[in-house]
Amino acid sequence: MTRLQEGDLRIALPSSAKVSKLDDPATHGLSHCMKAVDFVVELEDRTLFLEVKDPDDPRAGPRERQRWAARFKSDRLDQDLVQKYRDSFLYQWALGRVQKPIHYWVLVGLEQLTEADLLSRADALRRKLPIDVPASTGWVRFPVAACHVFNANSWNRSLPAGYRVSRVTGAASA
Amino acid sequence: MPLTKLRLHRFTAFDELEFAPAPGINAIIGANGTGKTHLMKVAYAACDVSKTGTSFAEKLIRVFLPSGRALGRLVKRRRGSSRCLVEVQRRERRRTLKLSASFSNHASVPKTATIRGAKPWSGAPLESVYIPVKEMLANAPGFRSLYSQREVHFEEVYADVLDRAYRPALRGPTDKERRKLLSALQDPMAGKVEVNNEEFFLRGKQGNLEFSLLAEGMRKLGLLWLLIQNGTLLSGSVLFWDEPETNLHPRLFGPLADIFVSLQEAGIQIFLATHDYTVLKELDLRSAGSGAVMFHSLYRESPHGRITFDSSKTYAGIHPNMIGQVFTDLYDREVERSLADTPQ
Repeated sequence: MTRLQEGDLRIALPSSAKVSKLDDPATHGLSHCMKAVDFVVELEDRTLFLEVKDPDDPRAGPRERQRWAARFKSDRLDQDLVQKYRDSFLYQWALGRVQKPIHYWVLVGLEQLTEADLLSRADALRRKLPIDVPASTGWVRFPVAACHVFNANSWNRSLPAGYRVSRVTGAASA
Repeated sequence: MPLTKLRLHRFTAFDELEFAPAPGINAIIGANGTGKTHLMKVAYAACDVSKTGTSFAEKLIRVFLPSGRALGRLVKRRRGSSRCLVEVQRRERRRTLKLSASFSNHASVPKTATIRGAKPWSGAPLESVYIPVKEMLANAPGFRSLYSQREVHFEEVYADVLDRAYRPALRGPTDKERRKLLSALQDPMAGKVEVNNEEFFLRGKQGNLEFSLLAEGMRKLGLLWLLIQNGTLLSGSVLFWDEPETNLHPRLFGPLADIFVSLQEAGIQIFLATHDYTVLKELDLRSAGSGAVMFHSLYRESPHGRITFDSSKTYAGIHPNMIGQVFTDLYDREVERSLADTPQ
């Protein structure tokens, strides 16, 4: 089993997964102009770009929560998520590592989101990435193979047994 | 004053149900066939007879329209003879008033039913309106006279809602609260409602538009506008609305939920039967667990078992939540499709 941690969220992945932390200033050396997803996970048949947002982090203070609430308004969050994906894609491409379909998974530590909320958030993000390229306009490759928005509940319920999310503090239902 | 309890014993789909509505907004959910509409119709029939003095059993026949107008067909079907009891309670000046009807499955006419509590019940008339799923205002001209003269096969809720819509506006200046509500409805409708020779029109910038030319959702908002303008919906009255989401664009659910909350604050008890997630969430976001909205989930204890219910102050607390379950199922299938060749 491969483990990784982002803030208060601990994520377990199958042991075959190879993880690199991308959101680190030293990684691409261009942090003044590029953003990055938190992790790149190499699986046998695909690459996962994994981004973690954790408004429920029990260690966050009230001011941080307020900032979160403002950032979480769909438009600002989506802009951020889109840029992280595109910049990470560009960096992986520059390293010659774009060889498998890339799936973008966003894990939001906000347990009051229902499946209906998560579905509509994922649909909105797919339109902006974008996931569908216009037919007959010359696109021959699809930059994003799939995109999902999870919270801990939906992650633990809908993904296979090797994928688990829990809280370090054990505070939430995750 | 608000309804406080409904008891249904061997009535239509119900074996035994004691339903305790909240004084504010009651959002009722449940799969098809779990009795949402029946529950609201019983409560409405009780409210209506408090004003008209009609026998409760007679009103039940008119709003449910059993075949051959045979009262006994409203008794839950089972082998042999059976008897049902329908009881509605409300608080009125610190007293509890009860109105009940009891009848057997052999009952064919209303007079064979045992009615209790009718006198004190109608001694304190209760204003109410039931908005059915199908919109009626566009078909209104001539409908009421046809309904009163002929045996047309329409549940009486359709004729009743027109009676209320045709009421003239209240005398005197419109109070501030009602003005606010009316103007909140005028925005999405882009006009006001006028009645001319039994025909309804929307008076806006384009002149007078007959209701038959309007989108059905707009006609429903127009109906609500009339009910507020003519004082049918005033403090102490009860609003029943079966599937308010029908024909309305979801963008209007927010403004509509605002109006429900304002009506509730003005002392109007509201019953909504809905299948719509957005309606529920709009209410949930406004009430924030304050109790202004109660969510009631009607469900069967087993696939063919008896109908029961569970109540919650929040959307998250609704159990079982069949609407949420639909989204969970969609969500899971979407993730599953993406993982078709599951990563190992």
